[in-house]
Amino acid sequence: MSRIFFNEWKAWIRTGQFRWLILLLTFMLVAVSYFGAQDVANRQAKIDGSKKEVREQWESMGPSNPHGAAHFGSYAFKPLTPLSALDEGVNLTAGRVLRLEGHVQNEVVHSSQSQSVFISYFGPLKASILLQVVIPLLIIFLTYYGIKGEHEQGRVRLLMVQGVSYFRLIIGKVVSVWVLAILILLITLIIQWATFQGSLQPDLLLRSALIVLAYSLFYLVIGSFTAVFCARWAGGASALTVMLAIWVVWLIFLPKVSSWFVQQQNPLPSRHEFKIAMREDRSKGIDGHNPTDEREKALKDSVLGAYGVSSVDSLPINYDGLVMQADEEYGNKVWDKHFGALFEVLQRQKVGMQYAGFLNPFGSLQSLSMGICGTDQWSHLHFQKEAEAYRRVFIKALNDEHAFGGSKTGDWGWKAEQEFFNQIEDFHYENPAYTKVASLYWPDWLSLGIWLFISLSLLGYSSKNLEEAVI
Amino acid sequence: MIQLSKVSKEFKTNIALKDLSLEVKAGQIYALLGSNGAGKTTTINLLLGFLQPTGGEVKLDGLTPYSSKKAISERAAYIPENVSLYPFLSGLENLDYFCHLAGIKKPKATLTEILSKCGLESEFHNQKVSEYSKGMRQKVGIAIAYAKEAKVLLLDEPASGLDPAASNELTAILKQLAGEGATILMASHDLFRVRETADRIGILKHGSLVEELDASDVSANTLENMYLQYMKN
Repeated sequence: MSRIFFNEWKAWIRTGQFRWLILLLTFMLVAVSYFGAQDVANRQAKIDGSKKEVREQWESMGPSNPHGAAHFGSYAFKPLTPLSALDEGVNLTAGRVLRLEGHVQNEVVHSSQSQSVFISYFGPLKASILLQVVIPLLIIFLTYYGIKGEHEQGRVRLLMVQGVSYFRLIIGKVVSVWVLAILILLITLIIQWATFQGSLQPDLLLRSALIVLAYSLFYLVIGSFTAVFCARWAGGASALTVMLAIWVVWLIFLPKVSSWFVQQQNPLPSRHEFKIAMREDRSKGIDGHNPTDEREKALKDSVLGAYGVSSVDSLPINYDGLVMQADEEYGNKVWDKHFGALFEVLQRQKVGMQYAGFLNPFGSLQSLSMGICGTDQWSHLHFQKEAEAYRRVFIKALNDEHAFGGSKTGDWGWKAEQEFFNQIEDFHYENPAYTKVASLYWPDWLSLGIWLFISLSLLGYSSKNLEEAVI
Repeated sequence: MIQLSKVSKEFKTNIALKDLSLEVKAGQIYALLGSNGAGKTTTINLLLGFLQPTGGEVKLDGLTPYSSKKAISERAAYIPENVSLYPFLSGLENLDYFCHLAGIKKPKATLTEILSKCGLESEFHNQKVSEYSKGMRQKVGIAIAYAKEAKVLLLDEPASGLDPAASNELTAILKQLAGEGATILMASHDLFRVRETADRIGILKHGSLVEELDASDVSANTLENMYLQYMKN
């Protein structure tokens, strides 16, 4: 088989149109990967700069009222993963900056799409588009023309007389195109590593290896299916037409149909409905600024009882801080209820789309690609939950200082020292290691495995049939 | 070396061969004459082991081709009407590639020698096949058979489309190979070339051998008349 493999490569190198097509595509991918990696590095530098600036502001605000500081708030910045340049995933639309403040849970903002008119019109040129859309097309064309050439010139019989089986011939061709595609993928990955400024951690190496594995499986499925149709139609134009039609169905039609179906099965509330429901539930809580609230009355009675005094003025602490914290905790419950329900739906939608991969290997590849690069919906929700967990600790620290820092109830002018604010740590987020989230992606791996098994089985069957037809 | 005894081959819709018996000995060139659909290619396919006979017995070098494909691929060579080589490779590279596929490893010098022996002038050895004439590609095809040290050569319309000089050269090469002990079966329409090349001639009609004669016993004109008569009937 190695001779068939090298002969195929020789054909591409010596045949002008193939040579230029491969070189052009590789050059495009190298350029896109390089500039994409540069862009990620620049954006990460901006995030680091903003993070530093926010911290400097926090540490230079001087003695302040803790509640005022809670309104001043902070920001959570989602760091870009080293493989973001390879597949941006939902980062483009979901944003990466979350404002953290008292009383309210904000949404993540500053998505790339909201920052650029061109991106919102056309979408950015990402390495993932080339790897997921253009490289498979290259595989389809090279496999098709490789097999077609053998049939068109009646060489198949001559080869078979030399003792080469048809299966060996087309597998040799499929593998040669497959290796070319993997080589282009490896070049892309090497560029990512070369431009990555951090150290190559084991998690990055594992993710890189898994990217190669996922794309390799998918490329082999594409190549094998093309060969199946070439074997079915003895290299006729119908093979190319059918394979391109299937590609369009996988790429455009099935993702739209499956996402529509999954959304119908697991509908999300509209943003307006979600906000109204949150606001309604939130309004039933203790408002830190409204002392007439009933629940606030119950809290007051319990605090007065605990301290054995009859009025808040007699308390040794600042009762307002306790009220605000109680309100926060109520708000947290409301957020958990609504966001939890939303998370459930999003989770069901994601799983639904993963199962749709059993009908469309392209869906499985997309899910794996984003998941391994740490840019999928799971990663985004994980960041959001971690940021919210930090916000709760952050606001509680400020409310506790307001309550127990030495001020008295109603003393809104009281100020905590700068040292107190300095000791509150920043939000630090790290994407979870792949080994911790690996179990989320088993349907995608299984789907690709099944597709590969089907395509290779069909290839074996078709080549046997064609062998008889050729004769 | 080649032996067909009462061989018949039926396809779903037609009978390709009916009780065909013939024998080609080592060092002999046997030509099968016949119109399209007479069964010439089916005979070659049976000998290559691509097809299984419906009845009778096919033997090539004592082996049953259909059940010994691997052994047959080592013993037999096939030269089609158009020897389709890889256009981006030179004649020498093509020969090397086909030899490797057949599991034969020969040094470059030997391959060059074989090409020359098969009539391809050395100045063309390293030229891309896309620039070759049909006759030159036929010579590479024969070189592949020669390099394989094939005991049996099966040729399907080998002289079709060749100019007279190239046809003459082909005849000379085939005679030389037969002289070295090769068994050659060729299917053809070309009465004149068959008469010039073959030792023995068989005329196939509707899958049956209707005439078998020694080439030396018949003139070109007589052969033509005989052939046309059979075709008319």
